[in-house]
Amino acid sequence: MKRYVTLLIMLLVFLLFTTGCWNRRELNELAITLAFGIDSTMDGQYLVTAQVVNPKEVAMGKAGGGNGRSPVIIYQAKGQTIFEALQKMTKESPRKIYPSHLRMLVIGESLAKKGIGKSLDILSRNSELRSDYYIVVAKGMNAEDILKVPTALEKIPAINLFDTLKETAKAWSATSFVTLDDLITDLVSDGKQPVLTGVFLHMKGDKEKDLGNQNVEVIDTPARLFFQKLAVFKKDKLVGWLDEKQSKTYNVITNKEAGTAVNVPCPKGGKFVFHVTSSNTEMKGKIKNGKPEIDLNVHVEGSIGEVECDIDLTKSESIDKLEEMYEKETRKIFNNAIKQVQEKYKVDIFGFGEAIHRADPKAWKKLKKDWNKSFENLHVNLHVQGEIRQIGTIDNTFLEKIK
Amino acid sequence: MRFFKKQRKNSVTHSSFEQGDQSKENNKDLLKTSLEGNIQYVKQVLGNSRDIVIREIQIGKKGVKAGIFYTDGLVDTNSIQNFILESLMLDIHTDQGQIISSQHNVLQILKDDILTVGDIQDVTEFSYLLTSLLSGDVVLLVDGYAQGFTIGMRGGKDRGVTESTTETVVRGPKESFTENLRTNTALIRRKIKTPNLWLETKTIGRMTRTNVAIMYIDGVVNDKVVEEVHKRLDRIDIDGILESGYIEALIEDEKFSPFPTIYYSERPDAIAAELLEGKVAILVDGTPIVLVAPALFVSFIQSAEDYYQRADISTLIRLLRFFSIFIALLGPSLYIAITTFHQEMLPTGLLINLAAQREGVPFPAFIEALMMETAFEILREAGLRMPKAIGQAVSIVGTLVIGTAAVEAGFVSAAMVIVIAITATSSFVLPTLALSMSIRMLRFPMMALAASFGLFGILVGFIALVLHLCSLRSFGVPYMSPFGPFIPEDIKDTLIRVPWWRMFSRPRLISQKNIKREQNSASKPPRNKM
Repeated sequence: MKRYVTLLIMLLVFLLFTTGCWNRRELNELAITLAFGIDSTMDGQYLVTAQVVNPKEVAMGKAGGGNGRSPVIIYQAKGQTIFEALQKMTKESPRKIYPSHLRMLVIGESLAKKGIGKSLDILSRNSELRSDYYIVVAKGMNAEDILKVPTALEKIPAINLFDTLKETAKAWSATSFVTLDDLITDLVSDGKQPVLTGVFLHMKGDKEKDLGNQNVEVIDTPARLFFQKLAVFKKDKLVGWLDEKQSKTYNVITNKEAGTAVNVPCPKGGKFVFHVTSSNTEMKGKIKNGKPEIDLNVHVEGSIGEVECDIDLTKSESIDKLEEMYEKETRKIFNNAIKQVQEKYKVDIFGFGEAIHRADPKAWKKLKKDWNKSFENLHVNLHVQGEIRQIGTIDNTFLEKIK
Repeated sequence: MRFFKKQRKNSVTHSSFEQGDQSKENNKDLLKTSLEGNIQYVKQVLGNSRDIVIREIQIGKKGVKAGIFYTDGLVDTNSIQNFILESLMLDIHTDQGQIISSQHNVLQILKDDILTVGDIQDVTEFSYLLTSLLSGDVVLLVDGYAQGFTIGMRGGKDRGVTESTTETVVRGPKESFTENLRTNTALIRRKIKTPNLWLETKTIGRMTRTNVAIMYIDGVVNDKVVEEVHKRLDRIDIDGILESGYIEALIEDEKFSPFPTIYYSERPDAIAAELLEGKVAILVDGTPIVLVAPALFVSFIQSAEDYYQRADISTLIRLLRFFSIFIALLGPSLYIAITTFHQEMLPTGLLINLAAQREGVPFPAFIEALMMETAFEILREAGLRMPKAIGQAVSIVGTLVIGTAAVEAGFVSAAMVIVIAITATSSFVLPTLALSMSIRMLRFPMMALAASFGLFGILVGFIALVLHLCSLRSFGVPYMSPFGPFIPEDIKDTLIRVPWWRMFSRPRLISQKNIKREQNSASKPPRNKM
């Protein structure tokens, strides 16, 4: 009896070794992909571009070295579906594309106009993908062009893009970082339409020259990537671009603003800068006389970033005055921006529909069928409250003493 | 088995001495009346060994014949000279010596009046005589009497009490046990002076006849544990006990566990602390290592110094030790699992960095780790076994070979060297070698699990390990207590160490009847200013 048990245990132990290592991959067998670009080609196929890291060129120290080769490599493949294209990529890549560390997903404008919905399925289905990468739209060009630009400060262009987007969201708040989950939530929502940040490529001249190694060797790099504007989607199709003020308004209303600077005119001429440090927006929907209405309570805290006008900051009344000026100014900007979105794009990117849904689900059932129409004529009660917390390390400006 | 039994039976009939079985061979074992016969017998039994010194002398004027037996090297020759030979051969001629004659009971007079030594025992049997003789006592036989004395005069060369080498502390007593049982018991008695510190002695080992002492504090110790220790020690039937490791292996609860269920130390203060908690110490002659039962898992991560340092520092250091157990056990396996199965868990920057280091490394991470671990274990063993002077050279070669050259040659990645190094260092953090050895051994199966199943494998292995640990018992006490079973009061001295003024009770499961350790004796300085 005892012998059989021993034998059984031994066989079971041997069984462990026969399983093999079904998804074991060494680090040097991975093509670490940090950015995908998805474009649609003329013949209706997808063109998938993968920006793959060459780790040895990126890492510091002896192990890396850096022989002056490019820190990233582009692999491209066409396919009827994205999955097909990804599998095809191994035709030229010696290692399997490993997308778990994806930082950026760039969508070409032409694809965005045709509709991005179908291309997102694999991204949320694939188990290797996390959903913490940012999705952006290449303004006026294909995504592959964006991914071919070498960047200087961050060796890996995808990380360069990722960090830039994060930083600008903190300091300027005119763009928005949208992850896959956010995008899909907005796409399937009746009361909110998605937006995506636009990425631009500015080149000084000759394309061949600008995108070469020279781009990282000179001080004034000829090819530059930057984020600007928000792309407005109607369902999954791109319908237009918001300008900077509209984009900032979008961020404030959707409670995504982390910090920005607003130029505000002073009471007696000149201007001062209101440096927003935190902003909180309450959005409430209601039905008044059978018509939907939105109450927006924007509470902004900030400090005085710069003063270019004659005002006595040692008095608390003048601080009140400045707050008042700020509130007036931003109310104007916000109202304009909302009106422009209502009239020009006619899509509810702010999520007003969702607010109505929350406030009055019964009424929403009737409204949601034709929500974009109701959105056009939606009345928004905007209330802005600004608070100045700090005035900086000096009180009154020295400018008046110069005179 | 049957074969062995038969063998043993035979040996009983052949030599009663070896078996120590006195009851059956009573007549043969008793001392003879004639000194000549006794000397003959002793010489014959001991095979005329030259280190047995037999000195025949005449006592008194009438010339009563006497024989002194001792083993050269085991006795204090000076004392024999001063207190036995001188008493018997010189002093006896003064006044007392007058009455020495065959009419009187010479033995009684010698014992009462002449021999100026403390430890005298009567001896009537050869087996006892021989044991005493070979243990270093002096035997005095007088012609015409079928009995004699054994005189305690053990001496000879001994290693003195030195500083502990395996369990070093910065603060605390530096002394450690020696090979001499008597010195060791004295070291403990010097620390605990209560009359309740009891000592029982046994002789174990058919050939070595090693003295084994059991020490405990009566009234604090759990009597059942003492009884169990006795039972298990009595069951031992082996030819020799050369180190306490023999006894540990023979009396431990779980024979096939990689974890030690008996604690050991060479520090008298550590053993004294264990006794105060109600444990039983087993001292073995000939080794400075003293066993303690029952042992808990947590005792192996506690150092004597923890109790001497400030409580907050001790707590932090204990947490650090506990953390380093995990590194020592799982360090390489976590590295293998994460870099070969779960690359998505690493931050992007780290992944790229690690990937860069692995470029051009020809082996899979598992083989790489196995190579490095084996190399390290070889170096470690070599460093231990080599003479100290050469040990230095080994460590230099080791650091150069596995540290630098292997990385530069591209055999292993630099990250792997770091992982192995931190793992190795962590395993040295544990204050007791016993647990550190088990963990060092368990590291390899963990690595294999990690290489074939990733984190899932590690988790399964770890759960199996925890289940095993929870199933262990040491002399009836659950090994993982006070965690499993959970005893909230006893958490005070586990991963944390509360200040002494909060250490109110002894561990509940160990000292069951006498829990209370102290009143609240924290100092209360006067509030008003002096």
